[in-house]
Amino acid sequence: MPPAISSAEAPVPVRGDLALAQRRALERLAAPGTWWSGAERVAIAAEARQARRCGPCRERRQALSPAWGGADHESLGRLPPAAVEAIHRVAADPGRLSRAWFEKTRAAGLAEGPYVELVGVVATLVSLDAFCRGLGVAPHPLPEPLPGEPSRYRPGQARDEGAFVPMIPARGAQGAEADLWPPGRTANVLRALSLVPDEVRGLKELSAAHYLPMEQVIDVRAHRLLSRAQMELVAARVSALNECHY
Amino acid sequence: MLLRASSQAAGAGARLGAIAEGGAAESGVPCGGPLLRFAEALVRGGDEELAGARRELLAAVGPERFVEAAAVAANFERMVRIADATGIPLDPPIAALGADVGAELDLARFGSAANTPRPGRVARALAPLLRRLGPRLLKWAAGARGAQPGAASRD
Repeated sequence: MPPAISSAEAPVPVRGDLALAQRRALERLAAPGTWWSGAERVAIAAEARQARRCGPCRERRQALSPAWGGADHESLGRLPPAAVEAIHRVAADPGRLSRAWFEKTRAAGLAEGPYVELVGVVATLVSLDAFCRGLGVAPHPLPEPLPGEPSRYRPGQARDEGAFVPMIPARGAQGAEADLWPPGRTANVLRALSLVPDEVRGLKELSAAHYLPMEQVIDVRAHRLLSRAQMELVAARVSALNECHY
Repeated sequence: MLLRASSQAAGAGARLGAIAEGGAAESGVPCGGPLLRFAEALVRGGDEELAGARRELLAAVGPERFVEAAAVAANFERMVRIADATGIPLDPPIAALGADVGAELDLARFGSAANTPRPGRVARALAPLLRRLGPRLLKWAAGARGAQPGAASRD
């Protein structure tokens, strides 16, 4: 079982549900996914961590244009170049990703399904690492990959909804996807990864512990020990610093 | 938009400009300064700056709320990447309710603003009314969805 932050390691007590949700996120990371094997998913996570140390990524962030044509990424070398480019850009400079960049990445050989799953893995790893860094503890060791083949499952309802990638329509979460959200009651950020439904399930579970359960997000009276305004102040500042319009 | 709505629901008035201005700004939210400085240090700061912000926030809110702040920041480090990497547009109701917030914070300067079509004439005309009704609409929507007010379930 992958390790989790425990009260013994952290300088402050970590809620049991939070530690459990993080441990389950690491377990999901290690398991075969929809388009990537367990070994490839762990390699994606390792590459996302490497992006923090990538010199060209640092220089690109400072450059006027994200299309800056500097040196190649400082990669761990375990994944195809198109995947490495996507991982580093999503991890290190997400606010300047564009449709043109996405189309170029797709043309370089990274298909929509694998891309969506990759985004889910990178975003999870960045989130887990940010939490650890916030607390001042070492990041979780990456888990040992589990054997098995990717399912290659693509939900039949997914279609072009105006984003870079196909998504399940708001009223389309039915059948095998009925657990993703109640019919018509969702938000684009929840649908964003729905081309790979298991990534939505992972997102919901970890977000419920880090922030709020999805069904409570719209209720402005819902909160934790922090008031909702305090939670939203942190959320908004993090989003602004990442230059996220959404 | 959720900051404004939650602040109004609590009978207070958060100053939205603090989101753009950062930790030195007055936010109108209790312990807002330490929360903003911690978020900034976590996203952009070096280890030393983060250590200072961590100490300040711990002293201001105590260990349990400090962990919650780190978790919320970590959650949004995730959500921004999902939103920007998939190119999703703003949901139309959020775009309408939050149009003035976007203008106040000049969110159109962000590259990912290109993913959301500009609001049409009708939406722009209805925006002032929607803003006045915003908190009530959110309250209604939450009730319609069966959300329970109060603290989220915790271990």
